[in-house]
Amino acid sequence: MLNVKDLERRWFRYKLKSYIPYILGSTLALSVVIGAVSFFLLPGHTKSAEISKTAPEQNVSVVRQNNRPDAQENPTVLEPSMEFIQSFQTDLQDQETQRVPAPKAASSSSARGVLEALAPSGAAPAAPAAQPAAPQSKKIDESLSIKRNESQFDIAELLQRFKETSNANLGLFIARYYYDREEYVEAYNYALKTNAINNRIDESWIIFSKSLAKLGKTEQAKKTLRIYLQQSNSETAKGLLESLEKGTFK
Amino acid sequence: MQTSLFTKPRDLFLDVVNAKDYVQIDSVSVMYQYLKNAVEKPLKMILLYGKPGTGKSMLLHKLHYDLSKHQKVHMIPIPIVDEEDFLRVLAQNIFGHAPREKMTLNRFLEIAEALSFANVPIVLLDEAQLYSASLMEKIRLISDARAVKFVITLHKTDNEDIVAKEHFQTRIWESIELKNATSDELKIYVQKKLLKANCFDVANMFNEKNMKLITALTRGNYRETNKLLFALFSLYCWHEENNPGAIRYNAIKPKWIEMAAIHTGLIHA
Repeated sequence: MLNVKDLERRWFRYKLKSYIPYILGSTLALSVVIGAVSFFLLPGHTKSAEISKTAPEQNVSVVRQNNRPDAQENPTVLEPSMEFIQSFQTDLQDQETQRVPAPKAASSSSARGVLEALAPSGAAPAAPAAQPAAPQSKKIDESLSIKRNESQFDIAELLQRFKETSNANLGLFIARYYYDREEYVEAYNYALKTNAINNRIDESWIIFSKSLAKLGKTEQAKKTLRIYLQQSNSETAKGLLESLEKGTFK
Repeated sequence: MQTSLFTKPRDLFLDVVNAKDYVQIDSVSVMYQYLKNAVEKPLKMILLYGKPGTGKSMLLHKLHYDLSKHQKVHMIPIPIVDEEDFLRVLAQNIFGHAPREKMTLNRFLEIAEALSFANVPIVLLDEAQLYSASLMEKIRLISDARAVKFVITLHKTDNEDIVAKEHFQTRIWESIELKNATSDELKIYVQKKLLKANCFDVANMFNEKNMKLITALTRGNYRETNKLLFALFSLYCWHEENNPGAIRYNAIKPKWIEMAAIHTGLIHA
């Protein structure tokens, strides 16, 4: 018998434990960032630099002697220079300005233009390179077709059962199955059939509208969603309608 | 009596091996066809191996169920470790005759020779890793004499190369390795099982995210998946009775999958 309360408690502990590394990591990262910022940007760092000037110079000189013998002549060498940050910024700006025109150069139209220009000389070597790839793709297709056949067989069984039972949940299952496989006409048909049996299944309406949109009938999809939203308060439907109107639906 | 929506799905995932519960998945059915073809070849031994929970026993039960319709086939699901008992049970079930006197390998082979069948009888041995080396050697000798064809299932551990074992070296055998399921295969397995029992609404509740989580927790192991889903649907049954408002009927709650995993020991919390 399940002790649900105890399980809830253990699950909470487990979740807490699983988040600990993230919490520690982010705390550490945050403290490093804060430390770095306070070191470089806050006015206090100049004081520390001054202190370091008055601090045991012997030690500093030892280090200096080891690294650069001529450094003794310049006692202000410990002051941090901000030039390298500026150089990063200028580098980044340069890179950004260089990146902007890059996609244009690589854009499909211009690339096509270049290919067309090169066509007489470039076409000949391209053909033999494509030939050896063909048997491989055939092999892949064959191995895939075995799976497909089995799946087809299964769906045939489900379609038969849907015919016999007219179960809305099964209809939804089939519609979802086809939508996942990008067979939008079938997905549309079964979502429609499911809606006819039970017009209160939210997901069925969504699949119906999405399939319409995928089939290029965006206006009809919007119309369907508006009709559905008159009788329902579905947030998913609202979101889908919004994405269709904005043209962001993929 | 009003039954819960989740009682039937829960009982579907009880961890029992029954040939009628066999779920056809692409990779498993390819293996099964391969196994069936191997049985038809004049091989002496067929070795079916894989990690625990990869479906070896289920495949063996299914093979027994299908072959017994038109062939002499006997299955020993629980190992008989005593050598004499093993030979006696085999003789009784295959040849319909077990002498009263002490049963030895020679006596068994004599009976087999006297009652030779047109088709070599098939014996299916599950959990063969539990047999002693000496009994395995006798099994090998029986198969060498072509008195019986054996199909053997063995657990495979990470440290052990079964095929390198003494009994299987230089033998004429076919070896088939079963592997854990992928997320897609596990999804098909779960949905087919539910659809077979007309649990359409519950089958619709499983989405890609749920299945990825279940696969990550069970590592694609069918036995662990059965256990996990049994616990998961038990949780749903409990909530249906005590807190129905907490149930979301359009998707499985990841939290409850994790709770079921804690209950079954897949997550140590």
